[in-house]
Amino acid sequence: MFDKILIANRGEIALRVVRGAREMGIATVAVHSTADSDAMHVRMADESICIGPPAAAQSYLSIPAIISACEITGAQAIHPGYGFLSENASFVQIVEDHGLTFIGPTAEHIRTMGDKITAKDTMKKLGVPCVPGSDGGVPDLETAQKLGAEMGYPVIIKATAGGGGKGMKVAQTAADMQSAFHTARAEGKANFGNDEVYIEKYLTTPRHIEIQVFGDGKGNAVHLGERDCSLQRRHQKVFEEAPGPCISPEERWAIGKVCADAVARINYIGAGTIEFLYEKGEFFFIEMNTRLQVEHPVTEAIFGVDLVREQIRVAAGLDMSFGQDDLTINGHAIEVRINAERLPDFSPCPGRITQYHAPGGLGVRMDSALYDGYSIPPYYDSLIGKLIVHGRDRPEALARLDRALAELIVDGVDTTIPLFPALLAEPDIQGGTYNIHWLERWLESNLAE
Amino acid sequence: MTQPKHDADVAFIKALAEMLQENDLAEVQVKRDYGDEGTINVRVSRTPPAPVVVSAPIPAPIAPAPDVSSPPSAASAEAAGDPASHPGAVTSPMVGTVYMQAEPDAPQFISVGAQVSEGDTLLIVEAMKTMNHIPAPKSGTVKRIMVENGAAVEFGTPLVIIE
Repeated sequence: MFDKILIANRGEIALRVVRGAREMGIATVAVHSTADSDAMHVRMADESICIGPPAAAQSYLSIPAIISACEITGAQAIHPGYGFLSENASFVQIVEDHGLTFIGPTAEHIRTMGDKITAKDTMKKLGVPCVPGSDGGVPDLETAQKLGAEMGYPVIIKATAGGGGKGMKVAQTAADMQSAFHTARAEGKANFGNDEVYIEKYLTTPRHIEIQVFGDGKGNAVHLGERDCSLQRRHQKVFEEAPGPCISPEERWAIGKVCADAVARINYIGAGTIEFLYEKGEFFFIEMNTRLQVEHPVTEAIFGVDLVREQIRVAAGLDMSFGQDDLTINGHAIEVRINAERLPDFSPCPGRITQYHAPGGLGVRMDSALYDGYSIPPYYDSLIGKLIVHGRDRPEALARLDRALAELIVDGVDTTIPLFPALLAEPDIQGGTYNIHWLERWLESNLAE
Repeated sequence: MTQPKHDADVAFIKALAEMLQENDLAEVQVKRDYGDEGTINVRVSRTPPAPVVVSAPIPAPIAPAPDVSSPPSAASAEAAGDPASHPGAVTSPMVGTVYMQAEPDAPQFISVGAQVSEGDTLLIVEAMKTMNHIPAPKSGTVKRIMVENGAAVEFGTPLVIIE
């Protein structure tokens, strides 16, 4: 087991890793920019190293600074958290070249899953269901129309080089195909210099269902069920829950097994999440994240596990603490993400926290690096905390969330906290009948005040 | 109070004072619990006046140890200020290990009192096996060197003061 690990991240996830390591008796090294000298994870870690100026490119993304920090502190392993360098295959390679251990998957797996096309191909070969679509680019309208007829409308035409929602056009029926096809190509050309397009089936009311998987790198892997993360604003998750309110036990164990077997076959090591769009009982693979996710606490709550501990264990060559048969779901958990953003426009609101009071009591977990007097720096993302509740069932979890939100105080900056009591009053949230479009539509009609 | 015990305490406090100076610290506080023989609680500080506080092990009190707060006068005048905020401070631009000379047997690049021109190498910070020469940002006299060979430095650690 490692004597000392370095945490190459900041904020709430760095604190999370410090806590996990400390419980294992492992010494921790926090790295930080000058803007984070007073951050909670820096205060709580056993050692800290300032690695650069505020800009992430010169600090949290600075591979030389992080490796150097390991060298001078004698850290043996690096936990990358999420974001930053956590899915950077070159970083993993460099870490290994320096005789250090990267707490996460191999460079190869990160690389494979980091490219959407190879990820989809790999998953297809491993038997994971994918969104049906063209195999590669669609060269002309005739081929597009043929595909549309085969797959069934509606379909979405996407620019291969596209991103950020650009170069995507939906054809609701065969009649729309010509215009949609040509517009998508024109947008692809105009925005990305490349008019190559591919086509996928368009799901009208899908939910975002993701499966937590975990491997020990020796050919063994388990799944830890699903999380429903459909409530998103601009592709950013805001509210996550486990188990998914629309997923039956049979569906769960079926898709879970497919995912666990897939990652076991590639000898995957560490935590991973396989994301799907789910509609009418069918799962469609969209991407795999080869790291720990922000919303991992809801899975920890329902299974009673410590995923950071498991990451460290397998990275050190140990087995996972559990097998598939040990994993049984207990109750229901919900997480809400608190951002330092001003409603209704969600503009970032960095500043000094004049009062912070975390909720407590049965089944309440607050993962946050805030403290009274802390100044939120403007250089990084606006996530300042996660409130997670656990109850014996979904109604109890919802009631507990409502109660805990009322206790939570974050004064000095504007936050997105007021969003959540409003959501909890909605029948679709109470009933768990939302989908990936729900939140944006609700925000449009409700946040005029 | 036995003489050997007293000598041991004095030696301990002297060692702390030396550690204070060598590592350019302002204050060191140590509490040691000797179980039945009581505890010793020492604070050694460089900011004058600096009384040395020693709490007596039970049952017999010991005489207070000599005042150890007397670093060389040139250093004490600046010890009170934060070296990184001195206008002539050169801080480390990276995380790494300091080397004061190009090779183990070579002479040091600088010493206190040396004249440097802008661009002259002051010292090396080694990071990931690459030797990074840290240049003087301006011409002047080396007033203080805050690090020594083999010291670990982080981004922003004060290295040298040039006036």
